[in-house]
Amino acid sequence: MRHRRTTSDTVFLVFVYAFLGALSLASLLPLMQAITISLSPPEVVNSYGFHLIPTRFDFAGFERVIHYDTIWTAYGNTIVRTLLGTAITLVMTFLGAYPLSKRTLPNRKLWTGIVVLTMFFSGGMIPAYLLIKNIGIMNSIWALVLPGAVSAFMLLIVRNFIMALPESLEESAKIDGANDIVILFRIVLPLSLPIIATVGLYAGVGHWNAWFDSMIYIQDERKQVLQMILRKILLEGQDVSAESGSGVHAQAVNSETVKMAALVVSVLPILFVYPFLQKYFVKGTLMGSVKG
Amino acid sequence: MRQTTRRIAGMTLAVAMSAGLLAGCSKGNEEQTGQGASASTGASQGASSASTQPIALEWLGYDSYGQPDPNSSVVKMVEKKFNAKFDFWYVDSQKWEDNLNVRLASGEMPDVLKITNRQNLPKYVSQGIISPIPMETLEKFAPTYVKFLNENYPETWDGVKYQGNIYAIPMTNLNGSYPTVVIWRKDWLDKVGITKVPETIDEYEQAFAKFRNDDPDQDGKKDTYGLSDFALPNILGAYGYPGISDFKGAAKGDASKSIQFTMKDDNVVIAAIQPEMKEALATLQKWYKAGLIDPEFVTSENTTGYWADSQAFYNSKIGITGMSMFYHWRNELNPDIPDDAGGGQYKAFKESVPSGEAVFGVPAVGPNGAAGTPMWDTASHPIAITTQAMKDPQKLELLLKMIEAACTDYEYYLTLTNGQKDVDWKLDEDKFINLTASDTLAEANVKGKNVLNAKVSYDPFIKKRDAFDYQFADKYAKIAGYSAVYVPNVEAYGKYSNTLNKLTVDAYFKIITGGADVDAFDKYVADFRANGGDELEKEANEAYKTMVGK
Repeated sequence: MRHRRTTSDTVFLVFVYAFLGALSLASLLPLMQAITISLSPPEVVNSYGFHLIPTRFDFAGFERVIHYDTIWTAYGNTIVRTLLGTAITLVMTFLGAYPLSKRTLPNRKLWTGIVVLTMFFSGGMIPAYLLIKNIGIMNSIWALVLPGAVSAFMLLIVRNFIMALPESLEESAKIDGANDIVILFRIVLPLSLPIIATVGLYAGVGHWNAWFDSMIYIQDERKQVLQMILRKILLEGQDVSAESGSGVHAQAVNSETVKMAALVVSVLPILFVYPFLQKYFVKGTLMGSVKG
Repeated sequence: MRQTTRRIAGMTLAVAMSAGLLAGCSKGNEEQTGQGASASTGASQGASSASTQPIALEWLGYDSYGQPDPNSSVVKMVEKKFNAKFDFWYVDSQKWEDNLNVRLASGEMPDVLKITNRQNLPKYVSQGIISPIPMETLEKFAPTYVKFLNENYPETWDGVKYQGNIYAIPMTNLNGSYPTVVIWRKDWLDKVGITKVPETIDEYEQAFAKFRNDDPDQDGKKDTYGLSDFALPNILGAYGYPGISDFKGAAKGDASKSIQFTMKDDNVVIAAIQPEMKEALATLQKWYKAGLIDPEFVTSENTTGYWADSQAFYNSKIGITGMSMFYHWRNELNPDIPDDAGGGQYKAFKESVPSGEAVFGVPAVGPNGAAGTPMWDTASHPIAITTQAMKDPQKLELLLKMIEAACTDYEYYLTLTNGQKDVDWKLDEDKFINLTASDTLAEANVKGKNVLNAKVSYDPFIKKRDAFDYQFADKYAKIAGYSAVYVPNVEAYGKYSNTLNKLTVDAYFKIITGGADVDAFDKYVADFRANGGDELEKEANEAYKTMVGK
């Protein structure tokens, strides 16, 4: 059935498409610029103007990044961290949110209050450091995945999502003889896929991008995560003090090409995963935001 | 660094607070602390019992761009030579302070500590992290090095003193004794008919006017300028001590680039508010109105990449650049290096403009005869010994012996800074040949290069090693320069520096671009003084006089 458009509809649509088009261009162009620079020789990089389509190719930047020894161990560490961290986050968040969503839970308000309270106070960096050190997970992957395992915000979103599921579903399952465990795994979990995808993506991207905790808690370069190593590559040439006192040949000249190559290397995996998760993501955030 | 559980109690407020916080949940640890640091821990704690046992040093006396491999040949060699054992701390070099402060605050301490920011020295002293080093000990174990400092860099001692005590071993920076360079487009000068590289401010002006109007790049468009931001400190320098030594840095909020201390009539004053800067700004405003200054100088001629790159110069937009070091622009090729293409920036310039010609000039001489470009600091990051290491006198002794060896034994020095002999470098008769020159800073650290020399950079050895470069520097970079007066940390600096930097940057940019009249300078000076400038100048002057003992 075709809907007949009025003039004002057309004008409106033209505006909407123009706006969305401009918006997507605004995010695409910098990416194209980064990719092109990562592939270009220095004289192109240094010339003025946009570099959107590579005209001449030079893979020196990628070669440099790829030959950076620690980058591959760091890649591995990040993948392990992301998978492990996301898994822990999902399990913990879900197990925390499910009971809180049940109206029959004794002292439910109190428990929720305790969770909310953590959103307002934090111990600070040094106590956190001492805590990590004294429970003995310093310099290990646990220092990266455990402290932020459950985010109070996510927990509340998941709780709200589950609360929005019709209670009658569970009641009918109970009448059919299902126990709580069966209800959780057969009824609630399948219905919660959107929110699981959302939390998973948030946590995954968060773990993928995190570097500060790795800098503070990990003291062994071979255990560092990817972003930390990339950050080092990006900043290596910026440090004037790197030059003072270390002789004329120790210049940290690091061309833009290397930096952009590093950037592209780090962005690609998330770029590939994102489109497949995006539809759940939209659904999950929207539904989670409905207050219960 | 493996985790150590050694902790020194009651060091900072932070520790006190967090210790209190933890008292409830980890009583065992607190008790350990009370007993003193060592006995109960399982970590490598074998030091000092017998003299045959190696002395264990927790080492943070390097730049930590990469994590040193404890099994690298350089490390093994030094360990054998001194009967030592190194436990390397690895602290992210870019976030050095954040990272190190957490560890120091939690009670961990290395034995040997590099002090990246000298303003931290008083803080470390008051927190009980670093210990005084008696001059007699220095002279006893490192006589050559102390003599070298006294003869060549006596000023570096000022930077490591606090209340009369020496708290760290000064390290020097040979490059800091060469001013930043002045680079001209020689082919442009030829095209507009100027045979002599300009020297005075008038000659500079004439050259810039011709660069602007006579189409030196011969593309038929009036799209060339005389100068952009990198040359501005040079022009300011023609009138007196440059008020801003780096316009880009200052505009980005780095107050140390706009709050420069200099001496006037035996007093420390702030350069930016001196009356001669008004004259300098008047000239710049005149030039800007005449179109000699690239209007985009506000966003800098370095638009991307390494800080010394000047895209405006590479793209034939301006005819002069500067602010970098002689080695960036070295335009003579080293015959001993087969594929040498000159300094990094010279190479980039040649790649962009193969027909272009870049030559070294001299700083503009102003109407009163003043001239000079800003110079880097001759002091590098000093090396301190911590209170933890002072418990064992052998450790300080070892550190000093290592420093002494680095300035008495040339081959040992080469090994420390350049890696394993005949693998990373070799000596062809007396000529030093670097076989792994392409290593990045991080890769060099992993191999143990520049890790155990404790940042010693001993001029005679460097000049012997990099003979070609320093001969080049002596030929072209021995120009007039302004070096900063070292002023100890004062409270007012931390309190006002951001505001003052902002005021200065605003005023300078506005006056140059004609957004404000030259007379606005007087109002700026008044504002500067009223917003803490006076207090800062006074405190700095007093601190300086206390330090030098006047």
